[in-house]
Amino acid sequence: MDTTSLTESFDTWVDDGLTWISDNGEWLFDPLRQLLEGTYDGILWLLEFPPFYVVCLVLALIAWRAIGPVSAVLTAIALAFCAAMGLWAETMSTLALVATATVLALVVGLPIGIAAGFLATLNSALEPVLDLVQTLPPYIYLLPAIALLGYGPATALVATLIVAMPPAIRLASLGIRMTPHEFIELGHANGLTPWQMFTKIRLPFAIPSIMAGINQSLMMSFGMVVIAGIVGSGGLGETIYGAVRTLDIATSVDAAIAIVVLTTVLDRVTQNAAQRAKAGGK
Amino acid sequence: MGNVMENKINDADVLLDCRNVWKIFGSRAPAAVKAVIERGLSKKQVLQEFDCVVGVADASLQLRRGEIFCVMGLSGSGKSTLVRLFNRLIEPSLGTVTVKGREMSALKPAELREMRANTIGMVFQSVALLPNRTVLENAAFGLEARGVAKEKRNLIATAALEKVGLADWTSRYPSELSGGMQQRVGLARALASDPEIILMDEPFSALDPLIRKQLQDEFRQLTKSLGKSSVFITHDLDEAIRIGDRIAIMKDGLIVQVGTAEEIVTKPADDYVADFVAGISRIHLVKAHSVMKSVAEFRASHPNIDVHSLLKATPDADIGQLIDLTMQTDRDAVAVVNNGQVVGVVTTRGLLRGVAGNPVEPRVAA
Repeated sequence: MDTTSLTESFDTWVDDGLTWISDNGEWLFDPLRQLLEGTYDGILWLLEFPPFYVVCLVLALIAWRAIGPVSAVLTAIALAFCAAMGLWAETMSTLALVATATVLALVVGLPIGIAAGFLATLNSALEPVLDLVQTLPPYIYLLPAIALLGYGPATALVATLIVAMPPAIRLASLGIRMTPHEFIELGHANGLTPWQMFTKIRLPFAIPSIMAGINQSLMMSFGMVVIAGIVGSGGLGETIYGAVRTLDIATSVDAAIAIVVLTTVLDRVTQNAAQRAKAGGK
Repeated sequence: MGNVMENKINDADVLLDCRNVWKIFGSRAPAAVKAVIERGLSKKQVLQEFDCVVGVADASLQLRRGEIFCVMGLSGSGKSTLVRLFNRLIEPSLGTVTVKGREMSALKPAELREMRANTIGMVFQSVALLPNRTVLENAAFGLEARGVAKEKRNLIATAALEKVGLADWTSRYPSELSGGMQQRVGLARALASDPEIILMDEPFSALDPLIRKQLQDEFRQLTKSLGKSSVFITHDLDEAIRIGDRIAIMKDGLIVQVGTAEEIVTKPADDYVADFVAGISRIHLVKAHSVMKSVAEFRASHPNIDVHSLLKATPDADIGQLIDLTMQTDRDAVAVVNNGQVVGVVTTRGLLRGVAGNPVEPRVAA
């Protein structure tokens, strides 16, 4: 048997496997798609329902609280600029996608990461999986997702979710493992229960690392959500993908600017929140 | 041995009883422990045969009620390991630690937590104040863990902070405090839980000398006035002498001597201890009873001096006081009186020997 036929048989096996899963997994994937799209639609509705200046204002207020007045003004101007370019609907659709993917990635990733922080075996089992997920080209996740969930935002969400989860898991696990030894001793010496040890000692020390993980998750989501334009994610990703196909450079630059605005705003807000968590208390 | 132990445990004065405790670190520790039991291996043999490090070897000591017991040793002597065996932050490999009549190793997790929360407090060298909590919240930490309601625990913690002189700092964060103040918060946190025993793990080692001295005096005074008992770990013999009612000297995991400051300074158990105490001033440590000679001896060497005409001192008078008394007359001797009886005489020769650190006067032919 030469190597080509070996590869061919492997490919056939993968294709057959995927077909089998999509034929037999309807009971699983249909509700999953509905859940994903339902969450996405809900968040999107929240963002699209009010006029754009209300959303601008709310995001500016969040920036004010997290960073300061200058950032708040810049945020409002930058977002208003997106609306002025006529890309408001796409921008909100992308924001909804990123928010949905990040929230779901955190809901799944943080508990896994925290568990891995406690269980060294789970952590060492997860490491190679996370390495694999993070080194595979992100496009790889799109095709099987299309096969199982069809063309549309659900597929984009799953692919984004997969890419966004690893940093949340890694940094939550790291945060839990990084608790300074003397504080563990302090907890034991004061007769803390395991749960108290977690909530009063380990978690407070892990929060800066967890916040950094949330920030990283968000950034990974933004990276993926553009790529996911190929599978009909909607939003700016699809605008860029369409512009690339028709060589419409101007539109692609507009959409790219909107992506940069959105990414920068969310990055700064979460990064400052993380730094505040590190500084503690005040 | 069982009988001896029961007798000791029944002794109400012993709060913490540590008996023949070993701690052996390393992957083959269980085998090493077995060899220690069966063949009585030494620390060195354990290291050679099993590649295991002996942290604490065959340590026995008792903490009595109301006592401050100092454990002095250099780094690596096993003193920090020893103190962690007392509240079972480290499990002993061999031997028993009994606190208030209860064997620590036999406690179930919930009982152990209760023992740590209520009976044994601990203060760390690193202080370990939670950076995201205020001074008050840090001081109330132990009470919070015990589920004491917020208002009540804040009240108790405020009182504890008052005792250490930090009443005005309750709403500050640890990073705003100096090292000495942080350590005071650590002490207040331990006091707030009102434990009978306070384990002090080199609490003042990182502080500058002046603050250290001040905290030593405050700690001793506070512990005595509150009726607490304490095991105090230090690498500083001066500190041990200042603070401790009794002192244990540790070397390479072994307790080489236990005694009062005076006993250790005047009768060092071996050359190691002797080297240590060589630089310590005897003036306030050596007492009249250990430098006096008998009345008969004095009469033989000074036949024309009446013992009763000398100035009088108690057997507990230290050399400093005896020097002051001697300087008041031209007699060159002070009578030591106990219960109205002259029990001995301290001559200037005796004083000089006491100061020099060799109080047992060799018999000089008169």
